[in-house]
Amino acid sequence: MLEVSDLLATAVALQAENGGPILEPEAAAALGVGLAALASGYAERGIGAAAVGAIAEDRDMFVPGIVMTVLPETLVIFAIVVIFLV
Amino acid sequence: MSARASNPEYVNARVRSRRAVLFADEDYRKLIRMGPSEIARFMEETEYEREINALGTRFSGVDLIEYALNRNLAKHFDDLLDWSEGRLYDLIGRYLRKFDVWNVKTIIRGIYTETPTEEVSTDLIRAGELPDSTLDRLLEVDEIDDVIEILGGTVFYEPLSEAYQEFEETGALVSLENALDREFYEHLLDDLGRPQEGPDALYVEFLEAEIDFLNARNALRLARSGADLDPAAYYIEGGVLFTQAELSRLVGNYDELVDHIADSGRYGDRLGGALARLREADSLIQFEHAMDAALLEYADTLSSIYPVSVSAVLSYILAKEREVENIRAIARGREVGLTEAEIEDELVIL
Repeated sequence: MLEVSDLLATAVALQAENGGPILEPEAAAALGVGLAALASGYAERGIGAAAVGAIAEDRDMFVPGIVMTVLPETLVIFAIVVIFLV
Repeated sequence: MSARASNPEYVNARVRSRRAVLFADEDYRKLIRMGPSEIARFMEETEYEREINALGTRFSGVDLIEYALNRNLAKHFDDLLDWSEGRLYDLIGRYLRKFDVWNVKTIIRGIYTETPTEEVSTDLIRAGELPDSTLDRLLEVDEIDDVIEILGGTVFYEPLSEAYQEFEETGALVSLENALDREFYEHLLDDLGRPQEGPDALYVEFLEAEIDFLNARNALRLARSGADLDPAAYYIEGGVLFTQAELSRLVGNYDELVDHIADSGRYGDRLGGALARLREADSLIQFEHAMDAALLEYADTLSSIYPVSVSAVLSYILAKEREVENIRAIARGREVGLTEAEIEDELVIL
């Protein structure tokens, strides 16, 4: 973790020397999508656990379970829109 | 306390689904009109199917219903412990220890009355923390001090060994049973402290309510029976309604005791109807049912405030126990020929 932040610090310093912005727009958008994916993954953790529990009790819950589990995925889709905007 | 992460989401989803298949009020109304064999047949078409089929060849009538209920209850509660991990396991486990207490009591009583092992064995509810192997070993011994020896290493060992001396002097089982009960209830609130908010606070509040109701029930029974027993011996720590001194004072005076419960802000409103009935009639059973219903309602509200916590599980445990007790009451009531209205009085329905 420390090395990564060291690396990041050097990259930022280099960018600043060249007079450019700290992050290029594409890089910032990529970071945004990544963070969104991470967040939706965390949200899906709990929903997925509950869905598996419901399916174990009643097979008919399979489809609703999947639909509910991937709902937070919409977050990532919104984030992908950003890629087309920059 | 277990350090692994817990999985309340998974357990909650399963518990809620199981809760949905509990008998509804209409089912009870149907059951009240049936005889024991019809009840067994009705149960065969519900989720009790497997138990009824497994036991159907060996038992019949009310016995069949009773053993099927016990077995089904044990199955469900064992599942709860199977599913849960970490802190959730801990919290559920310490509540289900109630069945360990029940089992140990049953075994001790069996030894005391020299009941055959098989008969005692069918009365056990194998749902608690004690593993089946331990219970089987307990069933084999013939002396109460051997029972205590086998329980060495569990939480019950120390209180039982202390109570055993008293038992040897007096020869009354009360001291042993009381020791078990107190050990159970006093461990319930271990290391939880008094959290102010969040799911833990509700868990504690609920258990405090249960202890309070138990204290109130014991006090009322003592007051009613007029027996010359020391109320302090039955007092269980951890409640908020009574202190030990208050309880000892109030036991002597029945009206004051009822007033004390009515005056407490926490339960006065909830038990209002039951308290009024208790004042005018002398039906202690009615009051006890009202307390059960209040506790159940309490647990219900808790489960909807923090959907993903231990309180939904507690609420299920209570509802399931109530169902089993209701069906048993109906079956027993029909067997001895009570009227429909009388049986209905025995049920706890919200």
